[in-house]
Amino acid sequence: MNLGKFFAVRGFSVAVAILGCLALDYAAQTYLQDYIVRLVFLAGIYITLAVSLNLINGITGQFSIGHAAFYMVGAYTGGTLTKFFYDASPLGAVAWLIAMILAGAALAGVAGLLVGLPSLRLRGDYLAIVTLGFGEIIRIIVINQPELGGSSGLGFAPKVQGLWLVWLLAVICVAVCRNLLKTSHGLAFLAVREDEVAAQAMGINLTKTKVTAFVIGAAFAGAAGALLAMNEGYINPDLFKMDVSFLILTMVVLGGAGSITGSVLAALTLFAIPELPRLLKIDVSLAYLIGLTAGAIGFVSLLRHHQQRYHGPKAKGRMITVATVVGVPLAGLGLGWLLHTFTYLSDQTYELNNLRYVILAVTLIVVMLLRPEGVMGHHEFSWKWVQKVLTGRKPVAEESIS
Amino acid sequence: MSEHLDLSQVNVDELPVVPNPLLKLEGATIQFGGLIAVNQVSFEIMPGDLFGLIGPNGAGKTTCFNLITGVYKPTGGSIKFEGNEIAGFNPSKIARAGICRTFQNIRLFGALSALENVMVGGYLRHKTSLLSGLALWPSAIRETEELKEQAMQLLEVVNLTDVAHARARDLPYGKQRRLEIARAMATNPRLILLDEPAAGMNPQEKEELKEVVLRIRDEFGKTVLLIEHDMKFVMGLCEKIVVLDHGEEIAAGPPSEIRSNPKVIEAYLGEPV
Repeated sequence: MNLGKFFAVRGFSVAVAILGCLALDYAAQTYLQDYIVRLVFLAGIYITLAVSLNLINGITGQFSIGHAAFYMVGAYTGGTLTKFFYDASPLGAVAWLIAMILAGAALAGVAGLLVGLPSLRLRGDYLAIVTLGFGEIIRIIVINQPELGGSSGLGFAPKVQGLWLVWLLAVICVAVCRNLLKTSHGLAFLAVREDEVAAQAMGINLTKTKVTAFVIGAAFAGAAGALLAMNEGYINPDLFKMDVSFLILTMVVLGGAGSITGSVLAALTLFAIPELPRLLKIDVSLAYLIGLTAGAIGFVSLLRHHQQRYHGPKAKGRMITVATVVGVPLAGLGLGWLLHTFTYLSDQTYELNNLRYVILAVTLIVVMLLRPEGVMGHHEFSWKWVQKVLTGRKPVAEESIS
Repeated sequence: MSEHLDLSQVNVDELPVVPNPLLKLEGATIQFGGLIAVNQVSFEIMPGDLFGLIGPNGAGKTTCFNLITGVYKPTGGSIKFEGNEIAGFNPSKIARAGICRTFQNIRLFGALSALENVMVGGYLRHKTSLLSGLALWPSAIRETEELKEQAMQLLEVVNLTDVAHARARDLPYGKQRRLEIARAMATNPRLILLDEPAAGMNPQEKEELKEVVLRIRDEFGKTVLLIEHDMKFVMGLCEKIVVLDHGEEIAAGPPSEIRSNPKVIEAYLGEPV
């Protein structure tokens, strides 16, 4: 390959990424409310977390459910260093933030090394328990350290909001994982996931591969943690509880273990589902809830029946799928409207906001019933696929569910 | 001291040529608790051999493979590859030393394509660092392309170019077996171990396999050690055979000798009444 051309293309894409993130930052600060800016910020954090866990869980196949621990290590590294050393340092706020990101990544990487080592001897459920335990140990250590603020948390100054850095981190995380899979280096990680014995027989160093996955994954989570800490100016151990680990894990599984695109989509979706109802401030009547529930049940059962029983021509199958995907929820909505208009069920109303975790749960159940391998399976987004869709050979099932 | 050999006086060309064995097992033994799975097995494989390891079920053939490839550490004896002790090395180190294997129960990387499976085999000869891969540096891209090309060539050897992009898991059984051989070949081993390569194949597939094995030896100059149950297949293919029974070596020699060896007949057919 022509080196000059390579550097030109690479320089251009890096510049586009940085400028794009700066533009996003500027646009968000200028046009959006503070609350929404914070959501955009957190969305970037969650993309980083999900994609970095996907490297460990999905690509290398090491079932880790303690990702919040690495996130926490990064956050506390950033917070503590800022509290004790910022005033004495000659660095400006943004330079300090970047330094904290690097420090958080480094320390979380070391934590990743510590957790990665036992993964050589442990597989599957056992490794999961160790990572879970590690997450709890880190949290409990912090709770018991008065210097780290204990359970009441750690406050520090200054707060530095680096929205563009968050998104740049997410872009870098996605790029690094994608690059890994594009070159033959990624094959070693995938081989370890598929069959450890065979991978070893092919001369792949298991130790090195697994530990590398843990270190890289943990470092990205740590960087995200440092950014979060600097953005908030206050952190406490409750921000990094087990349920955060599970949320990240759910994102990876829902998106399709191993698929970077899937992790990104699932991170955005799962993050948005509980947040959007809060923004929309809609009241729904019991009538609509009943209608929509009936729609969801009908939707899942009909689509599943179709997936399992239908063996006819493909074109007709797609028609049926589209009809089900569009028709049944609409029918549910229609039923809701009928009940709302003609019965007393309309008297009872609920705030959509209060139902946000119900919606999240229903989404998870529906996706896992219809696509247990995750929305994207092992697949990635590609321009070829877009071409396929545009020229008419559309994989409807995947499209409609995502 | 006075009889010290003066090397300058020796004419190298006149010395008798004694080839060094590629692989040498000396009293290799492994014991699992009270069970001695492989007991004092010794044999030598010369470069270029087509060597067969046979025996009834449970004779310790696959265990023997596992000793050679480092899955198990022998409890006694030595295993030398090209004169170096390799007993107890871990499998990846042994693969790097130049021994590669296939598995009795096929162990492909199911979700990867046939091509990617073979590319994994070439991974151990990688020179670029992981960092260059993560940064998608030109050197890493170039190396990936090279690996892909080599893998394509190997797929051609085992006649699988048409399914290069199919998922390994979706391939029919016979093709999976051949893909495993291609994958092992991709590590560029000096010794290739085939664990029951013909198991479950129909006669025509067996003929094709025989051709592949011969090609590996003659065209690529690999030394082959294979385990097989199908006597006809082994007798027609291998030049030297070692027979194991209950973990012990009961016979060794060319197929013609093995066929008429009473101990072998007894082991396979049971004791004459």
